[in-house]
Amino acid sequence: MLIEPPAEGLYDELFDSDNRVRPHCRMLEQWLIHSDEDLIAEKRREADVLFQRLGITFNVYGEELGADRLIPFDLIPRVISAADWQKLQAGLRQRVQALNRFLFDIYHDYDIVRAGVISAEQVFANPQYQPGMQQMKLPRNLYAHIAGIDLIRHNDGDFYVLEDNLRCPSGVSYMLENRRMMMRLFPELFAQTPVAPVDHYPNLLGETLRAASLKPDPTVVVLTPGRFNSAYFEHAFLARQMGVELVEGPDLFVRDNRVFMKTTIGPQQVDVIYRRIDDDFLDPLAGNPDSLLGVPGLYAAYRSGHVVLANAMGTGVADDKSIYPYVPDMIRFYLNEEPILKNVPTWQCRKEKDLQYVLEHLEELVVKEAQGAGGYGMLIGPKASRKELATFRALLKAKPENYIAQPTLSLSTCPTFVNDGIAPRHLDLRPFVLSGKKIQMVPGGLTRVALKEGSLVVNSSQGGGTKDTWVLEDDRC
Amino acid sequence: MLSRAAASLFWMARYLERMEIQARLLDVSLTMALIDVPEDREEQLSVPLLVSGTRDQFWQFHDEVTPQRLIDFLLLDDRHDASVFSMMRHARDNALHVRGNLSSDVWESINRTWLELKDLSRRGVRESNASSVFDWVRERSHTFRGAVYGTLLRNDAFHFLRLGTFIERADTTARVLDIRHVMATQSMAEHSTRSFFEWTALLHSLAAFEAYQNTYGHNLEPMNVAELLVLSADVPRSLHSGLKEISSLLEQVESGRAQRARRLASSLYANIRYGDRDYIAERGLHSYLVDFLGRIQHIADQIQKDYMGW
Repeated sequence: MLIEPPAEGLYDELFDSDNRVRPHCRMLEQWLIHSDEDLIAEKRREADVLFQRLGITFNVYGEELGADRLIPFDLIPRVISAADWQKLQAGLRQRVQALNRFLFDIYHDYDIVRAGVISAEQVFANPQYQPGMQQMKLPRNLYAHIAGIDLIRHNDGDFYVLEDNLRCPSGVSYMLENRRMMMRLFPELFAQTPVAPVDHYPNLLGETLRAASLKPDPTVVVLTPGRFNSAYFEHAFLARQMGVELVEGPDLFVRDNRVFMKTTIGPQQVDVIYRRIDDDFLDPLAGNPDSLLGVPGLYAAYRSGHVVLANAMGTGVADDKSIYPYVPDMIRFYLNEEPILKNVPTWQCRKEKDLQYVLEHLEELVVKEAQGAGGYGMLIGPKASRKELATFRALLKAKPENYIAQPTLSLSTCPTFVNDGIAPRHLDLRPFVLSGKKIQMVPGGLTRVALKEGSLVVNSSQGGGTKDTWVLEDDRC
Repeated sequence: MLSRAAASLFWMARYLERMEIQARLLDVSLTMALIDVPEDREEQLSVPLLVSGTRDQFWQFHDEVTPQRLIDFLLLDDRHDASVFSMMRHARDNALHVRGNLSSDVWESINRTWLELKDLSRRGVRESNASSVFDWVRERSHTFRGAVYGTLLRNDAFHFLRLGTFIERADTTARVLDIRHVMATQSMAEHSTRSFFEWTALLHSLAAFEAYQNTYGHNLEPMNVAELLVLSADVPRSLHSGLKEISSLLEQVESGRAQRARRLASSLYANIRYGDRDYIAERGLHSYLVDFLGRIQHIADQIQKDYMGW
């Protein structure tokens, strides 16, 4: 098949700037060139049917409930060289370690604030800051047991962290199912390429969750908001893979500050809750009183140390977009190391000088809500209409502290199947980092791809798709 | 295991079992309607409505009962809970709740049935292709059962799922036997060819025709039929088989505090196991079955109280 060459000035994962295939991708390129169009079309259909049948679907907010949609899956894998992964892994380890240290600090000693690295206001007045977590002792001082770090590759070829997800990062089931699908559809590819395995992620996750409690053999559960949640499939998938119960709020109750699940043989105590529900909905007595998803009394049980939540309450403050610009400083402050991964330069609209700059350069910048997620409520300056620009200008002036701005980054591209062949599309990468007795991750992550030509929005709710992510064990192939 | 999960597995299995029997009943009724004289046609077609308890609802939507209308109503109509479509939707909803307790094979078998049924409902089912749809429902049911037997861990998830299957099966067998036994007995007084078809209709509805011939030969005797479907331990859909499974499953379920369902089931099982045909003949099959239906309902309620109620 013919492959449309990448656009000039962008970094392409398969081709270098002279349009030569990158050495570690040679095998993949040969496969693409020699693949028969009809065969590929057939495989694409097969993948769709298989995903439907597995029930790997998601719900989009605002659409009719139960309108199960498939996330489009692209058959061309995204390949990361062993050398790149080495660096990424070291960088991710460092970053997550610093973020956990930061969370411990801002709920205990406030060293970073005292040292003047971050202002007290930005930490303590952050809506995600949970004063109730102050001085609370957590096993191993861990807050973000599971972190999903979003990265992009810029046209300089370097990876940049776009954001840290420390609340309930999702998408790992797609990483696992995409690999299963590729191995099923194209076993011959794996025979020829040293792709590092990712299938052991659920084992590592189980290990991490058990290590979150100091009990010798803790009972772990996965807490889901229920089957109408967009990530329900993933919650069920992980529970099954780890061999633990998948519970909903009403399956749990609290007595004497201990959490129990309602089983066929009576109450059974729960020690670790891998919760996929936001802080505010966990306990109607402590957070949102209208929450039907949570467990009354859970917060008190948590405070008394009889149950562990993963991730901890109050992690949101560290992945907030207004804290993000300080992560490199955190690494220097807590670890005394230079950051391995780069941050995207960020203007904080709360600062007058930054706001001024943002308003003057709105057409060039991406503006995001400091607490937004999922690609909702953002402005991409170069693609925005006059009206959208005017709307954001007004929003920025009214509540500058709610926004940050970044230069429009050129996300790297990767050849992707489109209606009329193979063309470059933009993508990002979300590896998952687990913190337990030690920091662990599987080589890979979730690669999301913007399927619309030129689009930079990779979110599945906005028409993005996914790819299998191959980390090579050896670049000489 | 979680009480909610036990309840979902129990109900999921009940719906799937009910779906299979519904397909069998419809298939038999439509065939019988072809054989019958026009005035008896309505009675034939009403059997699946009587068994599923939806006759009144049917007449709310329709002013006559024809094969096509019956097909529409009991296969794909989503306005009531007794159509194959609605039952399958409930079954899948329950399966979604307990995905963590199901093997991939079991889940995929259910999800695939649902996807194909949705497809079928877009195309519609005509009288002319109804038989192949009934075959399809039966085959999907076999696939589900096979996936359960072949891949599910023998833990309480398996036990509660199977309990749902056998409670449902015992209940429907009793209902079908009650209704069709009366019809077949009445037909004997009239003329003999029709009565042959009536008896085979009853046996086919419960997948026991070959079993009857194996056991009693070709001679169709009302008390033989009753004995086979109530007392035989070897017929998979007999009341005896159902109760044997139910009481053995309840013995295997991990039971902290609850003993009542177990006791009720053992007692009913003992009654059937040591029951004899003369007693049934003396008491009258109808009265016997009414008593049975009350007791199986009681067991079902008690299972829910013992293990699923909080």
